Amino acid sequence: MTVIETTGVTKVYNPDKIAVHALKGVDLKIEAGEFTAIVGPSGSGKTTLLNIIGGLDRPTEGVVKVGGKDISTLTDNQLIDFRKDHIGFVFQAYNLIPVLTAKENVGFVMLLQKRPEAERNARVMELLKAVGLEDQIDKRPSEMSGGQQQRVAVARALASKPAFILADEPTANLDAASTANLLDIMAKLNKEEGITFVFSTHDQRVIDRARRVLTLDDGVIISEDIRSDS
Amino acid sequence: MITNIAWRNIWRSRTRSGVVIGAIVLGIWALIFMISFSSGMVDSYVNNAIENSIGHIQVHKAAFKEDADIDFYFEPTAELLQELRSISGVQGVAPRSLVNGMIGSSRSTNGTQILGVNPEAEQMVSSIPNKIIDGEYLSQKTKNPLVIGDALAKKLKVKIRSKVVLTFQDLEGNITAGAFRIVGIFDTGNKLFDEGMAFVRRNDLNNLLGNEGIAHELSFLLSEPDSLKAIQALVQKKMPNLLVESYSEVSPDLKLYEGQIQTSATIFMIIIMLALLFGIINTMLMAVLERFRELGMLMAVGMNKFRVFSMIVLETIMLSAVALLPGLLLGWGTVKYYAQKGIDMSAFSKGLEQFGMAQIVYPSLESVIYQQLALAVAITAVLGALYPAWKAISLKPVEAIRKI
Repeated sequence: MTVIETTGVTKVYNPDKIAVHALKGVDLKIEAGEFTAIVGPSGSGKTTLLNIIGGLDRPTEGVVKVGGKDISTLTDNQLIDFRKDHIGFVFQAYNLIPVLTAKENVGFVMLLQKRPEAERNARVMELLKAVGLEDQIDKRPSEMSGGQQQRVAVARALASKPAFILADEPTANLDAASTANLLDIMAKLNKEEGITFVFSTHDQRVIDRARRVLTLDDGVIISEDIRSDS
Repeated sequence: MITNIAWRNIWRSRTRSGVVIGAIVLGIWALIFMISFSSGMVDSYVNNAIENSIGHIQVHKAAFKEDADIDFYFEPTAELLQELRSISGVQGVAPRSLVNGMIGSSRSTNGTQILGVNPEAEQMVSSIPNKIIDGEYLSQKTKNPLVIGDALAKKLKVKIRSKVVLTFQDLEGNITAGAFRIVGIFDTGNKLFDEGMAFVRRNDLNNLLGNEGIAHELSFLLSEPDSLKAIQALVQKKMPNLLVESYSEVSPDLKLYEGQIQTSATIFMIIIMLALLFGIINTMLMAVLERFRELGMLMAVGMNKFRVFSMIVLETIMLSAVALLPGLLLGWGTVKYYAQKGIDMSAFSKGLEQFGMAQIVYPSLESVIYQQLALAVAITAVLGALYPAWKAISLKPVEAIRKI
């Protein structure tokens, strides 16, 4: 099943002044269960592509479909609601709400979705266990390491059972051990539960774990590398 | 959850929140004190005027209001006076004769209003008998006793036992005069009043006027001032041919003064609320700008703009609510303390005298003011939150997340 599909996606910044063509007619399909990395040099457009796929930004031209739905025509408020129900995010930093505990952070999106308390609590504990943080449920982000925070972020991204998870440089601020730990969890969730992950990354360790690597350069996909299970 | 997040967000920067809370507490405290002090000054002025001579209600012939001529008199009977005194809520009723004339000593003369009073009845409606600083109030012992204010005594260069001559026109239109002996000197703290009034026995004055039973005025003092309107209506019913007026109708300057104080209290409140408003806007704007990335993340994961807006507004309201109670309590406590102890303004006695105010001011505040203040703070908090909240929802998640 195609989870993400872009057709002729173009993004031009400052069209009236000095136009910057961040993306030039990108066609892309990502299927359910993929573990895909989008790589490229700085300024290649990978973050722009991820933002457009995630509904955080709009293409100048082209169509973006998530789960078959064209999201490029949705209003801002509709996009917010769509993201809440269909897309999980793991950012490079500032993933978590500082004043909430790990448990509250993971349950946050489900609260926005108005899920019943019992269902929320069960799912939260299940996810925190899956990321190995069942003993940190009452800790606030400031009381956790960077790696632990990112694991909580992954749990939170999964909580709403999204169609896929977008991770923008998720390991950029992590040490080697934390990176390995995080990637193990993500790979496990991908393999065992079929959760689709799309990364934007420079990190070779992430690239090495991806089963599909799309290389972007100057706003265009220049190569695609499909690997066997890693 | 939004409430939870908002409450916890307030305490992220304890110093900054503490400063804002402190400012709001001080602002509310200062405002309560200012309004209560102004109110106390008004009360002092109005009460002095009522207790010195005006009373809560006055009765005259209608024409007397336009032209205080001695011909506009009436003759209250003892039965009528007794009936009026028995009205519930009435402390005392005193008939008075009023004449404008001259008072002269061997050293000086001065224009003055001469009031002929029944000493026993007058003591039930006026505080003058309690403000005698030298001598005594009008007694039956002396022939033609007279009581004047300290300021007038100084002007005339007279003292107790001094003789003065009162000169005025009688009911026949003739200029008449009578010699009176000063038995008492009073000091009300109102220099204008003390300079312009002289009190004699009503019988003595009426004898000179040429008609013993007349009065130009009835003055009422109420034990239940809140029932003023009702009592006024009742008295008017009993005396349909006469004009029955409340103190604010008799002395419109009292009403004007009360209104001016109300207006200045409102202006104080607006100024202080404006100052608080800018403080709140500044603090919340800083809080929002500091959290741009976090807000961008919240919107990215699915928190809609309405919730983000509500969160910011809620934070502001909570911040103000935390400050409101201590501010109100401090204000209430200060008013309660000084309402009993009084604030000594004797350093400004000269100025206060000119305006008829006492040297000790007792702050007072109606309880409705506390409610109005609470509402004003709530409105200010909401208004203060609007711009920062709008700023929060105006940002685009993709830009906010990338913000350095």
